[in-house]
Amino acid sequence: MTAADIGLTAPTGDLPAKPRWILAGLLTGPALYILIMAIVPAFLMVQLSLAHREVGGLWSPGLELTQYRQLATPLFARIMGFSLLLALTGAAICVSLAFPAAYFITRMRRRAQVTWLVFLLGSLSLSEVLIVFAFQVLLSTSGTLAGALSAVGLLAPGASLYPNFPAVLTCLVYLLLPYVILFFYPALSQLDPEVEQAAATMGASRISTFVSVVLPMMRGQILTGVLLVVIFTFGAYLTPLVLGRPPQWTIAIHINNAAMGAGNLPLAAAYAVAVVTFMAALLLLTRLLSRRRGAEA
Amino acid sequence: MFGLELRDLTKAYGDHLAADHVSLSIPHGEFVCFLGPSGCGKTTVLRMIAGLETPTSGAILLNGKDISGQPANSRQFGMVFQSLALFPHLNVGENIAFALRLRGVDPRRRKERVAELLELVRLPGLQARAISQLSGGQRQRVAIARALAQEPPVFLLDEPFSALDAKLREEMQNELRALQQRLKITTILVTHDQREAMTLADTIVVMGEGQIQQHGPPVSIYKRPANRFVADFIGASNLLPVQILDGQTVTYGATALRVGATCGVGGAPATLAIRPEDVVITRAGGGGCNEVAGIISQVRDMGAYVEFRVACEGLDILGVAAPRDWIGAGLGEHAHVRLPVDSCQVLAK
Repeated sequence: MTAADIGLTAPTGDLPAKPRWILAGLLTGPALYILIMAIVPAFLMVQLSLAHREVGGLWSPGLELTQYRQLATPLFARIMGFSLLLALTGAAICVSLAFPAAYFITRMRRRAQVTWLVFLLGSLSLSEVLIVFAFQVLLSTSGTLAGALSAVGLLAPGASLYPNFPAVLTCLVYLLLPYVILFFYPALSQLDPEVEQAAATMGASRISTFVSVVLPMMRGQILTGVLLVVIFTFGAYLTPLVLGRPPQWTIAIHINNAAMGAGNLPLAAAYAVAVVTFMAALLLLTRLLSRRRGAEA
Repeated sequence: MFGLELRDLTKAYGDHLAADHVSLSIPHGEFVCFLGPSGCGKTTVLRMIAGLETPTSGAILLNGKDISGQPANSRQFGMVFQSLALFPHLNVGENIAFALRLRGVDPRRRKERVAELLELVRLPGLQARAISQLSGGQRQRVAIARALAQEPPVFLLDEPFSALDAKLREEMQNELRALQQRLKITTILVTHDQREAMTLADTIVVMGEGQIQQHGPPVSIYKRPANRFVADFIGASNLLPVQILDGQTVTYGATALRVGATCGVGGAPATLAIRPEDVVITRAGGGGCNEVAGIISQVRDMGAYVEFRVACEGLDILGVAAPRDWIGAGLGEHAHVRLPVDSCQVLAK
């Protein structure tokens, strides 16, 4: 697998001089936007994390590592560990469900494919807030699901299906599944059907073709899909807040609590710097792994 | 000797018959080319043989055994696809060993077999090379080696050379023919390139509108086309509208032409087919039979031969002459064309 396989490189070509200038002009706007809206806040975040905390939620400029020392505590390790566990579990479930779903959609007739795509896009139009509170109702003591499970004796009467880890995970998977299916759809629909047919003529069953040909060929896309879910889930806020207990709170909630609850903006900024660094390391590691595999191939 | 047999093979997509009662016997070890224009059903037939399409009706027999109901993975006919369909995530050796790995062949034997096949397709030592690092011709050879790895009873190729440039295509055609003769494997190749079919095949099967129009050795197909479709599709042909006079004579305009044999009753319209290389051009005419007077409407000196058109009875007759036989006439000059009796074939209109 190469870096291009996971979408980390762009096609290049020799452009004539005039289009190159036009291209540069067109790219200036987005480049400036990214610079102002991402790099500048990131710089300010680092600066804030090194600032001196004042009473009353205030801070003064400085170069202190006080807040970073709080990152080396079991509490922070537990928070990050849980966030990672949630992200990886969510990614594993989402990708395991989304990849076969996208594969089967691409193998349907055109009309059926369009119906599925419209359905998936339609589900994305629902607000996250609405979905999370709908899950709260569904899983609550008086909710439809809890009521149904109680009626068949699978749940004690009056028990609720939330707040807990499965409730958080289920809702996050529900929120992300359409995105991940739609992410896999273009790559799978471009998969040459003759590749699978070639495997069949060599004696491969449908399952072994899927496992030994389709999955490895889509390794780059699968890896990118996992990263997509991990990044989103790591920063999830509303779902764990509403459907989880404090032990199921992600780092995003703790950042908010540090900033808004404890009034410790430098600590919140240090948390945020740690998360960004962790994510950057994860991306770098993925890229290194894909490069090494590409070189081996 | 047993081989492959297609019995009344039909494939319908709704009201459209992609293959219409195709029947054919292919003896073991023969090289057969299915030739026809796009959409004639040749690939559909090939895919049914491979087990990638289910016939609507009819049967496929291999060595007398009906295999129509078997899926592609049970038949294990080696197939080279138009796109080659090599697995990009596997290297050359792994691609070739794919079928062997599925069959549980031990790694040492797999390695040996891969080396043998790479030797066979003249790519020795390229086991570890990535597919993306191969040229078009090398990929072609790897696809062939991969299809042959499982020692298939039938070797199928679906327009495998269509993406290659002319020189490489010819080189690969020669290699494939040599390989097939060496392995004596029953081979079926689908192509729309008549030159390719003429070069490779023991038997050409000309397909049109889902049906076999004619099959036989390349020269017989060329020399004795069974109908207007074949005469028109295979090589260049003069197709002259004629009227049958009697069993051995037709009329072309006001001129009576003698032919070997006619088909149909007197007065019936028919088509007279004659190949350009059989047309003889003279300045004055010898007064013999089958001579038609006309005016030269086109002359193209191609170096190796001269191509000419003579307008006779309202239609251009196309001919070719060796440079030493060319009469040296120019555009607008009078000439006579002679259509030798043995070369004239009368086809149903």
